[in-house]
Amino acid sequence: MTKVVILKEEIIASVVGPTGPEQRRLANKVMEETLRKASLSFPQITYIVSTGYGRINVPFSDRQVTEVTCHARGIVHLFSGARTIIDIGGQDSKGIKIDASGKVVDFVMNDKCAAGSGRFIEVIADTLGIPLDQVGALSLQSSHPVKISNICTIWAQQEVVSSLAEGVPVADLLAGIHYSLADRIVRMVSRLRVEDLVILTGGGAKNKGLIKALSEQLNRSVLVPPNPLITGALGAALIGKEMVEKARKNKTPIETRERVFKEVEIL
Amino acid sequence: MELTQGKALSTVERLYQDYGFRARELKGQGEKIIGYVCSFVPLELIKASGAIPFRIRGNIFEPITKGDTLLETIVCPYYRSCFDLSVKDKYEFLSGVVIPHGCDSMVRSFSTWSYGLPYSYFHFVNIPTVCEESSFEFFEEELNTFRKSLEKFFGKTITDEELSRVIRIYNENREKVRALYELRKADPPLISGTELTMTLTAGSSLPIEEANDLFDQVVAEVKARGSSPLKKGPRILIDGACLDHIELIKLVEDLGGHVVADAICNGARDHFPKTDVTLPPIKALSQRYLDKVNCPKTYRANKAGTFEGDIANRFGDIGAYAKEFKAEGAILYVYKYCDPFGFEVPARKAYYQSLNLPMLHLEDIYSAGTMGQLRTRIQAFLEMIG
Amino acid sequence: MAEEQKEAKPKKRMTATKAAASIGPMVKEFITGTLQARAEGKQKLAYTFIVCHHEEIFRAMDVVPIWTENFAGICGAKRDAERFLQRAESLGLSRSLCTYALCGIGFDQWREELGQMPPDAPWGGMVKPDFMISSGQILCDPRSKWYQASQQFMPDVPIYNIDLPYPLFQRDQDHREVLGYYHRYIVKQLRGLVAFLEEQTKKKMDYDRLRELVDLSDRTWNLIEETYDLRKAIPCPMGTGDAMNTMVPINFMMATQKAYDFFVELKKELEEKIARGEGEVENEKYRLMWGGGLPSWFALTDFNYFNSKGASFPVETTYRMVAPLKEMDLPETKDPIEHLAWRWLGYWTFWYDKARKRPGSEPDVERLINRIEEYKIDGVVMHEAFSCRTWHVGLIWQLHQLAKIYKPIPVYVVGKDGKKEKVYRELPSLILESDIIDITSYSEVDTRNKIDAFIETLESIRMNRAA
Repeated sequence: MTKVVILKEEIIASVVGPTGPEQRRLANKVMEETLRKASLSFPQITYIVSTGYGRINVPFSDRQVTEVTCHARGIVHLFSGARTIIDIGGQDSKGIKIDASGKVVDFVMNDKCAAGSGRFIEVIADTLGIPLDQVGALSLQSSHPVKISNICTIWAQQEVVSSLAEGVPVADLLAGIHYSLADRIVRMVSRLRVEDLVILTGGGAKNKGLIKALSEQLNRSVLVPPNPLITGALGAALIGKEMVEKARKNKTPIETRERVFKEVEIL
Repeated sequence: MELTQGKALSTVERLYQDYGFRARELKGQGEKIIGYVCSFVPLELIKASGAIPFRIRGNIFEPITKGDTLLETIVCPYYRSCFDLSVKDKYEFLSGVVIPHGCDSMVRSFSTWSYGLPYSYFHFVNIPTVCEESSFEFFEEELNTFRKSLEKFFGKTITDEELSRVIRIYNENREKVRALYELRKADPPLISGTELTMTLTAGSSLPIEEANDLFDQVVAEVKARGSSPLKKGPRILIDGACLDHIELIKLVEDLGGHVVADAICNGARDHFPKTDVTLPPIKALSQRYLDKVNCPKTYRANKAGTFEGDIANRFGDIGAYAKEFKAEGAILYVYKYCDPFGFEVPARKAYYQSLNLPMLHLEDIYSAGTMGQLRTRIQAFLEMIG
Repeated sequence: MAEEQKEAKPKKRMTATKAAASIGPMVKEFITGTLQARAEGKQKLAYTFIVCHHEEIFRAMDVVPIWTENFAGICGAKRDAERFLQRAESLGLSRSLCTYALCGIGFDQWREELGQMPPDAPWGGMVKPDFMISSGQILCDPRSKWYQASQQFMPDVPIYNIDLPYPLFQRDQDHREVLGYYHRYIVKQLRGLVAFLEEQTKKKMDYDRLRELVDLSDRTWNLIEETYDLRKAIPCPMGTGDAMNTMVPINFMMATQKAYDFFVELKKELEEKIARGEGEVENEKYRLMWGGGLPSWFALTDFNYFNSKGASFPVETTYRMVAPLKEMDLPETKDPIEHLAWRWLGYWTFWYDKARKRPGSEPDVERLINRIEEYKIDGVVMHEAFSCRTWHVGLIWQLHQLAKIYKPIPVYVVGKDGKKEKVYRELPSLILESDIIDITSYSEVDTRNKIDAFIETLESIRMNRAA
């Protein structure tokens, strides 16, 4: 997904749009839509920070900052007491440790394996033919979560298919899948020595089943921002804003790219 | 990169890119080239036998193919790459290979190397696992066995005088490496980490005298820059096993950091310790290679009785480098399947914490394909400490 | 913390011998023994590793060994290693490292954090030792790194690391030329161990007792050889599945009368079975060798699966950590420490001379060839455990080399001209891939598919030979 946040004092507009193989073109489209929503013209945007996997593919961005820094910035803005952030996205998952001053002190990432990311649940939801936004709620109806023994996404998918054939209830299967993903994420994040407040963000934070599984396995309550999909983009916008403010204070020039949407041909 | 490349650094780049071309030339002129892996091989003995030591390198851009038909994939990926290139005949100019007891991957695959490759000379040097009086005695004997084996192969006696002369040449080399490292101390550094590692890697493919000349030229050329054309950025120390390619360092530098210090085999671990010239040569070599090459493979007894004291003793050299080169962050880069380094990750992590030096731990598989994944981690780390 | 649930209880492996069936309680007994010794506080307890030739020294000093590899294996066999492996991972240790060590370090960290045994620790758990004896060897890196890593969580427990090298086989070098200084070094290392134990136990070594114990284990070595040689019988009375049980007295109980007596009993049992013509499997069709690699402790029932297809395993290279002393030509010495050092070198260089005589051979390959001939082997099975380089690197090459230099089994095929021709075939081999205790690396379905395909190969060779 491509997300855009336009910030002044507070968020003026935010849009979550699709990401596809044509990342650049879609970044343009989502940006245009956000500008429309904010009733702003492109040149009115003072500074643009891009983040995430596609950060280098945003032709109009003035600066690229990683999602680790941006998520942390966005979350600290929303929860000043945050110490541990768990971000579960469709491509990867990560844990971020923050100190009392809101600074990142450590992080861990998984971007090598789909089974450690939201993709795991997407694949299973797809296999079961259940819309992604329903799997979390469905899993909460389970009374006997199934133990999923395969760790690899592909094998787990097969395991789910054969369990289904054996008559295992869908809710129990889904609960098992959520526990399985939560287990891998907790293992990774526990390297950081988890401390309260724990904030869950990213697409995974929209899934109630995952929130439950995570907080059970962490043995702590897990907080979720009102709009978990945009915390990274919010952080990027906040960082951009700070950079401009700092430059203005120090009277240093602000270097920006041209505010035009270039037609991008990829392929 | 805004660094200018003069004649010396152009030579370095050529030696780095076409690794082994000079050795191939020398072989054509009748010289004998002996390949080696790992910092534990006493190169002075090879040199004193009249041959030219040549460090076998891997190549992260070359997929491991033929090697995997003979060697298990649970072997250290760096070492697998070295083997793969060797069975693919990239080092056809070698007359032989020397492998030390550096780790299980080396020990357990020695037969695979010595039967799988067509060279006429193979030798295994057994390195003790402890540093004690008895292990030094043993190691001296083992070095003499190596010496005899070389003498037999080359039909030439290695005299103590010759060995002492060679030891001095190698010590000069280590001083020149030190001079290269001095160029890292400025902020921003006068020499980039990429240039430095490329220079050392190039050097490990050359006869020692040529490496010495080359290093002198590089030092002169870089000094002539006067002031650094680079932009200031976080100063990074790299810790780990052998990093014989520049890609990781280049990545750090592309992202605005500077690699200014290291504790890696193809760096300080290998090149800093000098041999004591006041001792008889074999004794001196046994002390240098066993005690002064600080590799996790060697068990060092906990003399402090506390964990904090133990890590301060075991990793003290790293802390000293970090201080000397004013590092602001460390990257601990460990290969998958590397038992010696792998088991030290928690202790090293604790050590960096005790230094108040932020550390990023990366586990990798010696492949250009993973650089993209490393990019985000490194950039986030630089943002974190910057 | 992560989900700390146990896997479903594994099925018990069926044993062919009564002796093998008695091993479970025996292991439980010595683990309970360590818990008891800790509670009583009279004896010192030490973490240590198998295959160090130091059991006699331990027993003579009344030090109770805690075999840390054994405990990890038990966790694996009970399918309860995962939670300890995960602990280790959360400390920053990679899953690609020795999983025995990861399991042990994870367990230690947990026990030390709690100040008591982790919940439901297998068989009561592994007690905190008084000291740890690690071993830098040419055998295994984790052996000198494991306890060092564990010490982070129990800094008050000292480590003594003994270095026990042996000369690696080199084609152009006679290992005898270097044995002298290897021996001198090992003797010093073992004496260092004695001094350390004396200091820890505040007792002096009783060298007469040590001599007796060394004599006892020497006799046990020879007895084990004689016992295992009985497995050459057709049908084979005891397979590798059972040997993965009877490895316990060999590796964890050496220098005890109990180990000796165990093999007296086993030998008797095998002789009786042979007299009755009773094999490990009812209709022995194929004789296989477990030619390399440690087993997957959680999947020992795979041996039963082989058995169900008519395949027996008369011999294995794994855990047979003894060799016939009478064939070793060890120098005479009255000093038991010197003897231990000679025996150590004799064991590791046992196949060197033979290997040197056969062009293209190498000790591990030579051992395979000898066992193939002595035990009339039809195929070789190996296991590559991803986490252990010590026993699992070099296997592919050994099979290559075996195929290259050893083609002993003539097969008659119909040639171009319609006549039967004699050709030599390679010995079929199978490499299974999994781990020693990390069950996440294992797939029963895949493993059994591989076994099925291998059995089919053996069967077609058998049919060819019959034709």
